[in-house]
Amino acid sequence: MADLQLIGVSKRFGTVFACADVNLEIADGEFVTLLGPSGCGKTTTLNILAGLEDVTSGEVRIGGRVVNDLGPFERDIAMVFQNYALYPHMTVAENIGFTLRLRKRPKAEIQARVAQVAATLELELLLERLPRELSGGQQQRVALGRALIREPAVFLFDEPFSNLDAALRVRMRTEIKELHQRLRVTSVFVTHDQEEAMSISDRVAVMRAGRVEQVGTPEEVYARPVSTYVARFIGSPQMDLLSGDLVASADGGAGFRVGSLTFPVPAGVAAGVAQGARDMAIRPEHVTLDPAGIGAVVRVVQPLGPMTTVTVVWDGGTLTARLPGMAHLAPGQPVGVGLDPDHLLFFDRTSGRRIHP
Amino acid sequence: MTAAAGHTPDVKPPVTPAAHPTALPPGRVSGRVRRRFGLWTTRFGLAVFVVLALGPIAWGVVTSLMPTKALTQSPPDLALSNLTLVNYVEVLTTRGSLVDALIDSAIVATLTASISLALGSAAAYALARLRVPGANRILLAVLATQMFPGIVIAIPLFLVYSQLRIIDTYPALAITYLSFTLPVVIWILKGFFEAIPPQLERAAAVDGASAFQTFRMIILPISLPSLFAAGVFAFIEAWNEFFFAIILTRVQIKTVPMAIAEFSGQYQTLYGQMLASAVLASIPVVVLAIVFRRYILQGFVEGAVKG
Repeated sequence: MADLQLIGVSKRFGTVFACADVNLEIADGEFVTLLGPSGCGKTTTLNILAGLEDVTSGEVRIGGRVVNDLGPFERDIAMVFQNYALYPHMTVAENIGFTLRLRKRPKAEIQARVAQVAATLELELLLERLPRELSGGQQQRVALGRALIREPAVFLFDEPFSNLDAALRVRMRTEIKELHQRLRVTSVFVTHDQEEAMSISDRVAVMRAGRVEQVGTPEEVYARPVSTYVARFIGSPQMDLLSGDLVASADGGAGFRVGSLTFPVPAGVAAGVAQGARDMAIRPEHVTLDPAGIGAVVRVVQPLGPMTTVTVVWDGGTLTARLPGMAHLAPGQPVGVGLDPDHLLFFDRTSGRRIHP
Repeated sequence: MTAAAGHTPDVKPPVTPAAHPTALPPGRVSGRVRRRFGLWTTRFGLAVFVVLALGPIAWGVVTSLMPTKALTQSPPDLALSNLTLVNYVEVLTTRGSLVDALIDSAIVATLTASISLALGSAAAYALARLRVPGANRILLAVLATQMFPGIVIAIPLFLVYSQLRIIDTYPALAITYLSFTLPVVIWILKGFFEAIPPQLERAAAVDGASAFQTFRMIILPISLPSLFAAGVFAFIEAWNEFFFAIILTRVQIKTVPMAIAEFSGQYQTLYGQMLASAVLASIPVVVLAIVFRRYILQGFVEGAVKG
């Protein structure tokens, strides 16, 4: 087991920087996810950690030792690839045991270790099959087994579930998390699925255009996004961003005016944010709808079982609310919109950075 | 519960013969007739093609089964009662016969195919996957060697081989044949290696395999169908080659095409024996082609990666 450090790591392909000055520290035994859309540099960062890609500048440390010049094998890492990368001509047992065969371990030892890993992943009955005879989930398990048998200091996962169907993805997520809780091996996981990232990680590093935009626990990136980019990337349905003006209200307090509606803003909040044009964001679950109220109109109602997503509009603005259970609202119905003042976030309109709280 | 107003199920009118008129407007051909016509035109075209392609082969096989006398009289007497295996017996039993030529050809072709694969696969892998400076230029240069007509290099090759004293040896032919099989093998295999998902090599690197181990233990085994295809190509090229064989050999070595050519003499041509030899010489090539076809269809890479 080992801690990981990326210090000022940059990687240039031609004139394009896939990673630009990435700084990231991952503690021993921690599970960190690199999250971002395609092309944000997360896989390149993972490949740099793995030693599959050289850095243009910066330093990579594993267990305190600089590994810039070491190959993947010497770094004592194991990696699970997006499309599994199983050796098609080898059986499951041969795939899992390949690394030990390369290390010229005795046959009996290889067999015993393969059997042990297969038992962990419930692959015992598939050991003599070829990869093409397995389902996607089984192939993924074999790929996992190939990583497990190494007993590495660090696990690297490159979007390992992206080829699985939704149900299997959720199951594999649980299995990976369980495995990590059992082994406590430092793990870095790459995904573009924010829900996946939130559900399995100790910390999430949200990446944007080759840079780390924010690193924090799932709760931190969800509740306190540093920028509108993170705010909108994390959470489903997406966090709504309202462009409006922070104004002084008649009663001496403050309000945030969006089109025809002005939402009251607590005095504490108003004190921290200068008046003027701002972006305000709020999670859908902190929006309340009052069927007896007025001001907005229901546009779309999406019942999801445990909750209902309702989109409301008013002159100059739109918001999504997430209501518990089945909400009995109909499109076209007038409603009043309430915002939980404790969960209002304010962002600078030009830079997109959070200015409050 | 009552049905909501305004929501009446779509009731289709009952289908009656009148709804499907069978009579066509005058001057129109029905789609079915047109499709049939198209089908028969295609069949006829294919039949012509088959006759053109197989005709000479069938003629060759029939001729090889006829005595020379029956073939040389005018008109040729192709009665079934004339069928005989005498030509085959003759070519296979005469001293210094086709059998020796078959052995010589097999040695030269196997040598050529093996060296082509050994050198070609390594070169192709390097050019496809490793960081080789000027890889594209090297590939173009490899291709450019194919632009020289054989006749241009025949005399220089003869002079060089004479100096090296390898005229009339297996290496002389194999080296010469490599000059035109190797570039093609490199190009065929390069295309294939490029299609192998790079994650396989990355996985092997993470597992601790060196570049050579990756090539030997991962890339080569999954490339067997392509290696086989490229090998068959090189083998057939060497097997059929006539021009360089006749220039670079004298008495020690005689490949099959040369042996076949010898049946055509100054005063007579032994058509029956010539074609019997040709049929025998075709057998290895046909067998290879059949095996190759089955092999390539196995889809070896299937299941390697998903997506």
